[in-house]
Amino acid sequence: MTESLAQLEVAAKQPGRVSRGAERVVRRIGRSVVGIAQQTGGILVLLGKIVRRFFPPDIDYYELKRNLHKMGNRSLPIIGLTSVFVGAIMVVQASAYVQQFSATAFVGWGAGYVILRELGPILIALMFSGRVGANNTAELGTMVVTEQIDGLRSLAIDPISYLIVPRFLSMIGMLFILTVFGNLIALCGAALFGQLTLGIEWRVFFHGITELLKPWDVYVGLIKSLVFGLIIALSSCYFGLAVRGGAPGVGRAVNASVVASAVGIFVSDYFLTFLVD
Amino acid sequence: MIRFVGLCKSFGTKSVLDGVDVTIGKGEVFFIIGQSGVGKSVLIKHLIGLLRPDRGEIYLDDQEISRLTERQYFAVRRRCGMVFQHSTLFDSLTCLENVALPIRKHKHLGKKKALVEAHKRLEQVHMEEFAQTFPAALGDGMRKRVAIARTLTMDPEFVLFDEPTTGLDPVSARRVDVLIRELADRLHVTCVVVSHDLTSIFSIADRIVMLYKGKVRLLGTRDEFRRSADPIVRQFITGSAEGPME
Repeated sequence: MTESLAQLEVAAKQPGRVSRGAERVVRRIGRSVVGIAQQTGGILVLLGKIVRRFFPPDIDYYELKRNLHKMGNRSLPIIGLTSVFVGAIMVVQASAYVQQFSATAFVGWGAGYVILRELGPILIALMFSGRVGANNTAELGTMVVTEQIDGLRSLAIDPISYLIVPRFLSMIGMLFILTVFGNLIALCGAALFGQLTLGIEWRVFFHGITELLKPWDVYVGLIKSLVFGLIIALSSCYFGLAVRGGAPGVGRAVNASVVASAVGIFVSDYFLTFLVD
Repeated sequence: MIRFVGLCKSFGTKSVLDGVDVTIGKGEVFFIIGQSGVGKSVLIKHLIGLLRPDRGEIYLDDQEISRLTERQYFAVRRRCGMVFQHSTLFDSLTCLENVALPIRKHKHLGKKKALVEAHKRLEQVHMEEFAQTFPAALGDGMRKRVAIARTLTMDPEFVLFDEPTTGLDPVSARRVDVLIRELADRLHVTCVVVSHDLTSIFSIADRIVMLYKGKVRLLGTRDEFRRSADPIVRQFITGSAEGPME
Protein backbone atom coordinates (compact mmCIF):
# COMPACT_ATOMS: atom_id res chain seq x y z
CA MET A 1 0.00 0.00 0.00
CA THR A 2 2.80 2.40 1.01
CA GLU A 3 4.77 1.39 -2.09
CA SER A 4 1.92 2.17 -4.52
CA LEU A 5 1.29 5.48 -2.79
CA ALA A 6 4.94 6.36 -3.34
CA GLN A 7 4.67 5.34 -7.00
CA LEU A 8 1.59 7.54 -7.39
CA GLU A 9 3.47 10.41 -5.85
CA VAL A 10 6.36 9.97 -8.28
CA ALA A 11 3.94 9.74 -11.21
CA ALA A 12 2.19 12.89 -10.06
CA LYS A 13 5.49 14.69 -9.80
CA GLN A 14 6.94 13.55 -13.12
CA PRO A 15 4.85 15.68 -15.53
CA GLY A 16 5.83 18.80 -13.61
CA ARG A 17 9.43 17.74 -13.59
CA VAL A 18 9.40 17.15 -17.33
CA SER A 19 7.74 20.49 -18.08
CA ARG A 20 10.12 22.35 -15.75
CA GLY A 21 13.09 20.63 -17.41
CA ALA A 22 11.74 21.44 -20.88
CA GLU A 23 11.15 25.02 -19.81
CA ARG A 24 14.75 25.31 -18.65
CA VAL A 25 16.04 23.94 -21.97
CA VAL A 26 13.78 26.26 -24.01
CA ARG A 27 14.82 29.21 -21.84
CA ARG A 28 18.52 28.38 -22.33
CA ILE A 29 18.06 28.05 -26.12
CA GLY A 30 16.10 31.31 -26.19
CA ARG A 31 18.82 33.10 -24.24
CA SER A 32 21.49 31.81 -26.65
CA VAL A 33 19.46 32.87 -29.69
CA VAL A 34 18.89 36.36 -28.23
CA GLY A 35 22.61 36.58 -27.36
CA ILE A 36 23.68 35.62 -30.89
CA ALA A 37 21.16 38.06 -32.39
CA GLN A 38 22.48 40.85 -30.13
CA GLN A 39 26.08 40.12 -31.06
CA THR A 40 25.31 39.90 -34.77
CA GLY A 41 23.38 43.17 -34.57
CA GLY A 42 26.22 44.81 -32.62
CA ILE A 43 28.79 43.69 -35.20
CA LEU A 44 26.65 45.04 -38.07
CA VAL A 45 26.19 48.37 -36.27
CA LEU A 46 29.97 48.57 -35.79
CA LEU A 47 30.48 47.83 -39.49
CA GLY A 48 28.06 50.65 -40.32
CA LYS A 49 30.00 53.06 -38.08
CA ILE A 50 33.29 52.05 -39.72
CA VAL A 51 31.90 52.48 -43.25
CA ARG A 52 30.62 55.96 -42.34
CA ARG A 53 34.20 57.00 -41.43
CA PHE A 54 35.20 56.54 -45.10
CA PHE A 55 32.77 59.24 -46.36
CA PRO A 56 34.74 61.51 -46.18
CA PRO A 57 37.82 59.55 -45.06
CA ASP A 58 38.44 60.06 -41.35
CA ILE A 59 41.43 57.82 -40.60
CA ASP A 60 44.41 58.31 -38.31
CA TYR A 61 47.34 57.47 -40.61
CA TYR A 62 49.90 57.27 -37.77
CA GLU A 63 47.80 54.65 -36.05
CA LEU A 64 47.28 52.87 -39.39
CA LYS A 65 51.05 52.68 -39.94
CA ARG A 66 51.66 51.45 -36.38
CA ASN A 67 49.00 48.75 -36.70
CA LEU A 68 50.17 47.61 -40.13
CA HIS A 69 53.63 47.05 -38.65
CA LYS A 70 52.36 45.43 -35.43
CA MET A 71 49.84 43.13 -37.09
CA GLY A 72 51.71 42.37 -40.30
CA ASN A 73 55.48 42.45 -39.90
CA ARG A 74 55.45 40.85 -36.48
CA SER A 75 53.22 38.00 -37.72
CA LEU A 76 55.61 37.02 -40.52
CA PRO A 77 57.77 34.53 -38.54
CA ILE A 78 54.86 32.56 -37.07
CA ILE A 79 52.94 32.51 -40.37
CA GLY A 80 56.11 31.45 -42.22
CA LEU A 81 56.83 28.63 -39.78
CA THR A 82 53.25 27.34 -39.85
CA SER A 83 53.11 27.51 -43.63
CA VAL A 84 56.29 25.46 -44.16
CA PHE A 85 54.76 22.61 -42.18
CA VAL A 86 51.36 22.95 -43.87
CA GLY A 87 53.11 22.31 -47.19
CA ALA A 88 55.14 19.48 -45.67
CA ILE A 89 52.06 17.76 -44.23
CA MET A 90 50.36 17.90 -47.64
CA VAL A 91 53.23 15.97 -49.23
CA VAL A 92 53.67 13.54 -46.33
CA GLN A 93 49.94 12.66 -46.37
CA ALA A 94 49.95 12.18 -50.14
CA SER A 95 53.25 10.31 -50.35
CA ALA A 96 51.86 6.78 -49.87
CA TYR A 97 49.38 7.15 -52.78
CA VAL A 98 51.86 9.06 -54.97
CA GLN A 99 54.35 6.20 -54.66
CA GLN A 100 51.62 3.55 -55.16
CA PHE A 101 50.34 5.12 -58.40
CA SER A 102 53.65 6.75 -59.46
CA ALA A 103 51.79 10.04 -59.71
CA THR A 104 54.72 12.32 -58.90
CA ALA A 105 53.76 14.74 -61.68
CA PHE A 106 50.50 15.53 -59.87
CA VAL A 107 51.99 16.31 -56.45
CA GLY A 108 52.58 19.96 -57.34
CA TRP A 109 49.05 20.34 -58.68
CA GLY A 110 47.49 18.57 -55.67
CA ALA A 111 49.44 20.56 -53.10
CA GLY A 112 48.88 23.83 -54.98
CA TYR A 113 45.14 23.22 -55.38
CA VAL A 114 44.55 22.45 -51.70
CA ILE A 115 46.94 25.07 -50.31
CA LEU A 116 45.91 27.97 -52.56
CA ARG A 117 42.16 27.38 -52.52
CA GLU A 118 41.50 26.05 -49.03
CA LEU A 119 44.14 25.10 -46.51
CA GLY A 120 46.41 28.15 -46.84
CA PRO A 121 43.76 30.85 -46.35
CA ILE A 122 41.97 28.94 -43.56
CA LEU A 123 45.00 28.00 -41.49
CA ILE A 124 46.65 31.39 -41.90
CA ALA A 125 43.38 33.10 -40.92
CA LEU A 126 43.09 30.90 -37.81
CA MET A 127 46.70 31.68 -36.84
CA PHE A 128 46.06 35.37 -37.48
CA SER A 129 42.89 35.27 -35.39
CA GLY A 130 44.74 33.62 -32.49
CA ARG A 131 47.66 36.01 -32.60
CA VAL A 132 46.35 39.35 -33.87
CA GLY A 133 42.58 39.11 -33.26
CA ALA A 134 42.91 37.93 -29.65
CA ASN A 135 45.55 40.57 -28.98
CA ASN A 136 43.34 43.25 -30.49
CA THR A 137 40.34 42.23 -28.36
CA ALA A 138 42.45 42.17 -25.19
CA GLU A 139 43.97 45.58 -25.96
CA LEU A 140 40.63 47.24 -26.72
CA GLY A 141 38.96 45.51 -23.75
CA THR A 142 41.66 46.74 -21.39
CA MET A 143 41.23 50.24 -22.80
CA VAL A 144 37.51 50.01 -22.06
CA VAL A 145 37.87 48.80 -18.45
CA THR A 146 40.61 51.34 -17.66
CA GLU A 147 38.47 54.15 -19.15
CA GLN A 148 41.03 54.90 -21.89
CA ILE A 149 38.22 54.89 -24.47
CA ASP A 150 36.31 57.45 -22.36
CA GLY A 151 39.60 59.34 -22.09
CA LEU A 152 39.77 59.51 -25.90
CA ARG A 153 36.15 60.67 -26.12
CA SER A 154 36.81 63.33 -23.46
CA LEU A 155 39.62 64.67 -25.68
CA ALA A 156 37.06 65.03 -28.52
CA ILE A 157 38.78 62.21 -30.43
CA ASP A 158 36.47 59.72 -32.10
CA PRO A 159 37.48 56.19 -30.94
CA ILE A 160 36.10 54.64 -34.13
CA SER A 161 38.23 56.70 -36.50
CA TYR A 162 41.30 56.78 -34.22
CA LEU A 163 41.32 53.19 -32.92
CA ILE A 164 38.95 50.98 -34.88
CA VAL A 165 39.29 52.04 -38.53
CA PRO A 166 43.13 51.65 -38.58
CA ARG A 167 42.84 48.20 -36.97
CA PHE A 168 40.05 47.20 -39.35
CA LEU A 169 42.08 48.19 -42.43
CA SER A 170 45.31 46.71 -41.06
CA MET A 171 43.74 43.35 -40.31
CA ILE A 172 42.08 42.99 -43.70
CA GLY A 173 45.11 44.23 -45.63
CA MET A 174 47.68 42.31 -43.64
CA LEU A 175 45.79 39.01 -43.66
CA PHE A 176 45.62 39.30 -47.46
CA ILE A 177 49.37 39.95 -47.72
CA LEU A 178 50.20 37.25 -45.15
CA THR A 179 48.05 34.77 -47.10
CA VAL A 180 50.03 35.49 -50.28
CA PHE A 181 53.27 35.13 -48.31
CA GLY A 182 52.09 32.04 -46.42
CA ASN A 183 50.85 30.32 -49.59
CA LEU A 184 54.25 30.83 -51.24
CA ILE A 185 56.08 29.48 -48.19
CA ALA A 186 53.68 26.51 -47.97
CA LEU A 187 54.30 25.68 -51.64
CA CYS A 188 58.06 25.92 -51.10
CA GLY A 189 57.68 23.70 -48.02
CA ALA A 190 55.73 21.16 -50.05
CA ALA A 191 58.33 21.26 -52.85
CA LEU A 192 61.17 20.84 -50.36
CA PHE A 193 59.57 17.90 -48.55
CA GLY A 194 58.50 16.45 -51.94
CA GLN A 195 62.14 16.38 -52.95
CA LEU A 196 63.35 15.04 -49.60
CA THR A 197 60.74 12.30 -49.17
CA LEU A 198 59.67 11.43 -52.73
CA GLY A 199 62.60 12.70 -54.75
CA ILE A 200 60.39 14.99 -56.83
CA GLU A 201 62.40 17.71 -58.52
CA TRP A 202 61.38 21.37 -57.87
CA ARG A 203 61.00 21.88 -61.62
CA VAL A 204 58.50 19.01 -61.85
CA PHE A 205 56.67 20.16 -58.75
CA PHE A 206 56.21 23.76 -59.95
CA HIS A 207 55.46 22.60 -63.50
CA GLY A 208 52.43 20.76 -62.03
CA ILE A 209 51.28 24.02 -60.44
CA THR A 210 51.76 26.29 -63.45
CA GLU A 211 50.37 23.87 -66.01
CA LEU A 212 47.38 22.41 -64.17
CA LEU A 213 46.19 25.22 -61.88
CA LYS A 214 44.11 28.10 -63.21
CA PRO A 215 44.51 31.73 -62.04
CA TRP A 216 41.00 31.46 -60.55
CA ASP A 217 42.31 28.83 -58.10
CA VAL A 218 44.66 31.49 -56.74
CA TYR A 219 42.00 34.23 -56.71
CA VAL A 220 39.52 32.05 -54.79
CA GLY A 221 41.93 31.73 -51.88
CA LEU A 222 42.70 35.43 -51.91
CA ILE A 223 39.00 36.40 -51.98
CA LYS A 224 38.52 34.12 -48.99
CA SER A 225 41.39 35.77 -47.13
CA LEU A 226 39.72 39.18 -47.57
CA VAL A 227 36.44 37.86 -46.15
CA PHE A 228 38.24 36.11 -43.27
CA GLY A 229 40.12 39.36 -42.52
CA LEU A 230 36.80 41.22 -42.39
CA ILE A 231 35.35 38.64 -39.98
CA ILE A 232 38.39 38.67 -37.67
CA ALA A 233 38.57 42.49 -37.69
CA LEU A 234 34.89 42.95 -36.90
CA SER A 235 34.59 40.27 -34.22
CA SER A 236 37.83 41.23 -32.45
CA CYS A 237 36.95 44.93 -32.41
CA TYR A 238 33.32 44.32 -31.41
CA PHE A 239 34.10 41.99 -28.50
CA GLY A 240 36.91 44.30 -27.36
CA LEU A 241 34.64 47.34 -27.25
CA ALA A 242 31.79 45.36 -25.62
CA VAL A 243 33.85 44.31 -22.59
CA ARG A 244 32.08 44.65 -19.24
CA GLY A 245 33.24 43.65 -15.79
CA GLY A 246 36.98 44.26 -15.41
CA ALA A 247 39.75 41.72 -16.02
CA PRO A 248 37.45 38.63 -16.11
CA GLY A 249 35.39 40.48 -18.72
CA VAL A 250 38.50 40.94 -20.88
CA GLY A 251 39.22 37.19 -20.65
CA ARG A 252 35.64 36.34 -21.63
CA ALA A 253 35.78 38.79 -24.55
CA VAL A 254 39.03 37.32 -25.91
CA ASN A 255 37.52 33.85 -25.70
CA ALA A 256 34.30 34.96 -27.42
CA SER A 257 36.25 36.81 -30.13
CA VAL A 258 38.45 33.82 -31.02
CA VAL A 259 35.47 31.43 -31.05
CA ALA A 260 33.32 33.81 -33.13
CA SER A 261 36.17 34.35 -35.61
CA ALA A 262 36.78 30.61 -36.00
CA VAL A 263 33.08 29.87 -36.48
CA GLY A 264 32.79 32.79 -38.89
CA ILE A 265 35.80 31.58 -40.89
CA PHE A 266 34.46 28.03 -41.31
CA VAL A 267 30.85 29.03 -42.03
CA SER A 268 31.85 31.72 -44.52
CA ASP A 269 34.33 29.32 -46.15
CA TYR A 270 31.51 26.84 -46.75
CA PHE A 271 29.30 29.43 -48.44
CA LEU A 272 32.17 31.08 -50.32
CA THR A 273 33.20 27.75 -51.78
CA PHE A 274 29.70 27.44 -53.29
CA LEU A 275 29.52 31.07 -54.36
CA VAL A 276 32.85 31.37 -56.13
CA ASP A 277 32.83 28.01 -57.93
CA MET B 1 28.47 78.91 -16.89
CA ILE B 2 27.39 75.33 -16.27
CA ARG B 3 23.86 74.52 -15.09
CA PHE B 4 22.41 71.13 -14.15
CA VAL B 5 18.62 71.25 -13.86
CA GLY B 6 16.68 68.42 -12.23
CA LEU B 7 19.23 65.84 -13.33
CA CYS B 8 18.21 62.22 -12.75
CA LYS B 9 20.23 59.12 -13.50
CA SER B 10 19.70 55.47 -12.59
CA PHE B 11 21.75 52.37 -13.28
CA GLY B 12 19.32 49.46 -13.41
CA THR B 13 17.16 49.79 -10.29
CA LYS B 14 19.70 51.94 -8.45
CA SER B 15 18.92 55.64 -8.56
CA VAL B 16 22.18 57.61 -8.36
CA LEU B 17 21.11 61.18 -9.14
CA ASP B 18 17.61 62.18 -8.16
CA GLY B 19 16.91 65.71 -9.30
CA VAL B 20 20.22 67.54 -8.92
CA ASP B 21 20.13 71.33 -9.46
CA VAL B 22 23.55 73.01 -9.51
CA THR B 23 24.89 76.16 -11.18
CA ILE B 24 28.64 76.71 -11.57
CA GLY B 25 29.90 80.18 -12.41
CA LYS B 26 32.72 81.08 -14.81
CA GLY B 27 36.23 81.09 -13.37
CA GLU B 28 35.15 79.31 -10.17
CA VAL B 29 36.93 76.48 -8.40
CA PHE B 30 33.87 74.41 -7.63
CA PHE B 31 34.11 71.26 -5.52
CA ILE B 32 31.64 68.36 -5.60
CA ILE B 33 31.85 66.31 -2.43
CA GLY B 34 30.01 63.40 -0.90
CA GLN B 35 30.40 59.76 0.05
CA SER B 36 31.79 57.19 -2.37
CA GLY B 37 29.15 56.02 -4.84
CA VAL B 38 26.93 59.08 -4.31
CA GLY B 39 27.20 60.10 -7.99
CA LYS B 40 29.87 62.84 -8.01
CA SER B 41 31.80 61.39 -10.98
CA VAL B 42 28.51 60.45 -12.64
CA LEU B 43 27.44 64.11 -12.45
CA ILE B 44 30.55 65.49 -14.18
CA LYS B 45 30.58 62.75 -16.81
CA HIS B 46 27.14 64.02 -17.88
CA LEU B 47 28.64 67.39 -18.75
CA ILE B 48 30.86 65.96 -21.49
CA GLY B 49 28.34 63.38 -22.70
CA LEU B 50 30.09 60.27 -21.40
CA LEU B 51 26.78 59.54 -19.68
CA ARG B 52 23.30 60.69 -20.70
CA PRO B 53 20.66 61.72 -18.15
CA ASP B 54 17.39 59.83 -17.72
CA ARG B 55 15.69 63.17 -17.01
CA GLY B 56 16.75 66.77 -16.58
CA GLU B 57 18.76 69.29 -18.54
CA ILE B 58 22.36 70.47 -18.74
CA TYR B 59 23.23 73.96 -19.92
CA LEU B 60 26.64 75.16 -21.02
CA ASP B 61 26.48 78.95 -21.43
CA ASP B 62 22.72 78.77 -22.00
CA GLN B 63 22.99 76.03 -24.65
CA GLU B 64 21.11 72.86 -23.69
CA ILE B 65 23.59 70.06 -24.35
CA SER B 66 22.14 66.89 -22.87
CA ARG B 67 20.44 65.84 -26.12
CA LEU B 68 23.41 66.40 -28.44
CA THR B 69 24.66 63.53 -30.58
CA GLU B 70 28.08 61.98 -29.95
CA ARG B 71 29.54 63.99 -32.85
CA GLN B 72 27.94 67.24 -31.67
CA TYR B 73 29.47 66.64 -28.24
CA PHE B 74 32.99 66.96 -29.69
CA ALA B 75 32.62 70.75 -29.70
CA VAL B 76 31.59 70.67 -26.03
CA ARG B 77 34.52 68.40 -25.15
CA ARG B 78 37.00 70.80 -26.75
CA ARG B 79 35.74 73.45 -24.31
CA CYS B 80 35.49 71.11 -21.29
CA GLY B 81 38.56 69.00 -20.61
CA MET B 82 38.47 66.19 -18.09
CA VAL B 83 41.21 64.70 -15.92
CA PHE B 84 40.09 61.23 -14.87
CA GLN B 85 40.68 59.63 -11.50
CA HIS B 86 42.95 56.97 -13.03
CA SER B 87 44.56 59.37 -15.53
CA THR B 88 43.49 57.25 -18.56
CA LEU B 89 46.79 57.79 -20.34
CA PHE B 90 47.18 55.50 -23.35
CA ASP B 91 49.43 52.59 -22.41
CA SER B 92 50.73 52.11 -25.95
CA LEU B 93 52.03 55.69 -26.22
CA THR B 94 54.88 57.42 -24.36
CA CYS B 95 54.05 60.38 -22.12
CA LEU B 96 55.16 62.74 -24.89
CA GLU B 97 53.00 60.99 -27.50
CA ASN B 98 50.05 61.02 -25.09
CA VAL B 99 50.28 64.79 -24.74
CA ALA B 100 50.96 65.25 -28.46
CA LEU B 101 47.86 63.30 -29.52
CA PRO B 102 45.20 66.00 -28.90
CA ILE B 103 47.58 68.64 -30.31
CA ARG B 104 48.01 66.64 -33.49
CA LYS B 105 44.29 65.94 -33.82
CA HIS B 106 42.88 69.37 -32.97
CA LYS B 107 45.57 71.84 -33.94
CA HIS B 108 46.26 69.96 -37.19
CA LEU B 109 50.01 70.00 -36.67
CA GLY B 110 52.38 67.42 -38.11
CA LYS B 111 53.79 64.84 -35.76
CA LYS B 112 57.14 66.63 -35.23
CA LYS B 113 55.59 70.02 -34.44
CA ALA B 114 53.03 68.36 -32.15
CA LEU B 115 55.83 66.63 -30.23
CA VAL B 116 57.70 69.94 -29.77
CA GLU B 117 54.50 71.57 -28.46
CA ALA B 118 53.82 68.54 -26.22
CA HIS B 119 57.32 68.81 -24.74
CA LYS B 120 56.58 72.41 -23.70
CA ARG B 121 53.34 71.24 -22.04
CA LEU B 122 55.24 68.55 -20.12
CA GLU B 123 57.71 71.19 -18.92
CA GLN B 124 54.78 73.13 -17.41
CA VAL B 125 53.99 70.18 -15.13
CA HIS B 126 57.70 69.35 -14.56
CA MET B 127 57.46 66.02 -16.36
CA GLU B 128 59.80 66.70 -19.29
CA GLU B 129 62.42 64.19 -18.10
CA PHE B 130 59.81 61.42 -18.39
CA ALA B 131 58.79 62.36 -21.93
CA GLN B 132 59.93 59.06 -23.45
CA THR B 133 58.63 56.92 -20.59
CA PHE B 134 55.52 54.78 -20.98
CA PRO B 135 52.74 55.55 -18.45
CA ALA B 136 52.89 52.07 -16.90
CA ALA B 137 56.38 52.87 -15.60
CA LEU B 138 55.21 55.97 -13.70
CA GLY B 139 53.66 56.44 -10.29
CA ASP B 140 50.10 57.76 -9.80
CA GLY B 141 51.17 61.33 -9.11
CA MET B 142 53.33 61.54 -12.23
CA ARG B 143 50.62 60.01 -14.39
CA LYS B 144 48.15 62.58 -13.08
CA ARG B 145 50.50 65.44 -13.97
CA VAL B 146 50.87 64.08 -17.50
CA ALA B 147 47.08 63.69 -17.73
CA ILE B 148 46.64 67.31 -16.64
CA ALA B 149 49.18 68.44 -19.27
CA ARG B 150 47.31 66.44 -21.92
CA THR B 151 43.95 67.96 -20.97
CA LEU B 152 45.37 71.49 -20.97
CA THR B 153 46.68 71.13 -24.53
CA MET B 154 43.13 71.83 -25.72
CA ASP B 155 43.14 75.18 -23.85
CA PRO B 156 39.75 74.37 -22.31
CA GLU B 157 37.49 76.94 -20.69
CA PHE B 158 36.29 74.35 -18.16
CA VAL B 159 38.35 71.55 -16.62
CA LEU B 160 36.73 68.69 -14.74
CA PHE B 161 39.00 66.96 -12.22
CA ASP B 162 37.87 63.58 -10.91
CA GLU B 163 39.60 63.03 -7.56
CA PRO B 164 42.86 64.70 -8.66
CA THR B 165 44.65 64.24 -5.33
CA THR B 166 43.51 60.70 -4.47
CA GLY B 167 46.48 58.38 -4.06
CA LEU B 168 49.04 61.20 -4.08
CA ASP B 169 51.52 62.00 -1.34
CA PRO B 170 50.68 65.23 0.57
CA VAL B 171 53.30 67.32 -1.26
CA SER B 172 52.15 66.20 -4.74
CA ALA B 173 48.53 66.70 -3.67
CA ARG B 174 49.19 70.30 -2.61
CA ARG B 175 51.05 70.94 -5.89
CA VAL B 176 47.96 69.80 -7.77
CA ASP B 177 45.86 72.14 -5.59
CA VAL B 178 48.16 75.04 -6.47
CA LEU B 179 47.91 74.16 -10.16
CA ILE B 180 44.10 74.13 -10.03
CA ARG B 181 43.99 77.45 -8.18
CA GLU B 182 46.40 79.01 -10.71
CA LEU B 183 44.29 77.80 -13.62
CA ALA B 184 41.32 79.66 -12.20
CA ASP B 185 43.17 82.79 -11.07
CA ARG B 186 45.57 83.30 -13.98
CA LEU B 187 43.78 81.77 -16.94
CA HIS B 188 40.16 82.17 -15.70
CA VAL B 189 39.51 78.48 -16.33
CA THR B 190 36.47 77.09 -14.51
CA CYS B 191 37.61 74.10 -12.47
CA VAL B 192 35.07 71.54 -11.31
CA VAL B 193 36.70 69.18 -8.83
CA VAL B 194 35.32 65.93 -7.46
CA SER B 195 37.15 65.23 -4.22
CA HIS B 196 37.15 63.71 -0.73
CA ASP B 197 40.32 65.55 0.20
CA LEU B 198 39.28 67.91 3.00
CA THR B 199 42.57 69.81 2.87
CA SER B 200 42.04 70.57 -0.84
CA ILE B 201 38.40 71.44 -0.30
CA PHE B 202 39.03 73.91 2.47
CA SER B 203 42.09 75.49 0.90
CA ILE B 204 41.18 76.21 -2.73
CA ALA B 205 37.39 75.86 -3.23
CA ASP B 206 35.34 78.93 -4.08
CA ARG B 207 32.10 77.03 -3.64
CA ILE B 208 31.21 73.49 -2.67
CA VAL B 209 28.23 71.26 -3.27
CA MET B 210 27.60 68.19 -1.18
CA LEU B 211 25.57 65.36 -2.68
CA TYR B 212 23.75 62.92 -0.44
CA LYS B 213 21.33 60.20 -1.52
CA GLY B 214 21.18 61.57 -5.06
CA LYS B 215 20.26 65.10 -4.05
CA VAL B 216 22.02 68.34 -3.19
CA ARG B 217 22.49 68.43 0.58
CA LEU B 218 24.26 71.78 0.81
CA LEU B 219 25.64 74.25 -1.70
CA GLY B 220 27.75 77.09 -0.40
CA THR B 221 31.13 78.62 0.30
CA ARG B 222 33.84 77.12 2.51
CA ASP B 223 32.65 79.25 5.43
CA GLU B 224 29.06 78.20 4.96
CA PHE B 225 30.19 74.57 5.12
CA ARG B 226 32.28 75.21 8.23
CA ARG B 227 29.32 76.92 9.92
CA SER B 228 26.72 74.35 8.81
CA ALA B 229 24.74 72.75 11.64
CA ASP B 230 23.45 69.95 9.37
CA PRO B 231 24.57 66.73 11.13
CA ILE B 232 25.17 64.97 7.77
CA VAL B 233 27.42 67.79 6.54
CA ARG B 234 29.18 68.00 9.90
CA GLN B 235 29.86 64.27 9.96
CA PHE B 236 31.33 64.41 6.44
CA ILE B 237 33.59 67.41 6.98
CA THR B 238 34.83 66.14 10.32
CA GLY B 239 35.31 62.66 8.91
CA SER B 240 33.60 61.09 11.91
CA ALA B 241 32.66 57.40 11.89
CA GLU B 242 29.75 58.08 14.25
CA GLY B 243 26.72 59.99 13.02
CA PRO B 244 23.54 59.93 10.98
CA MET B 245 25.20 59.17 7.62
CA GLU B 246 24.32 55.77 6.16
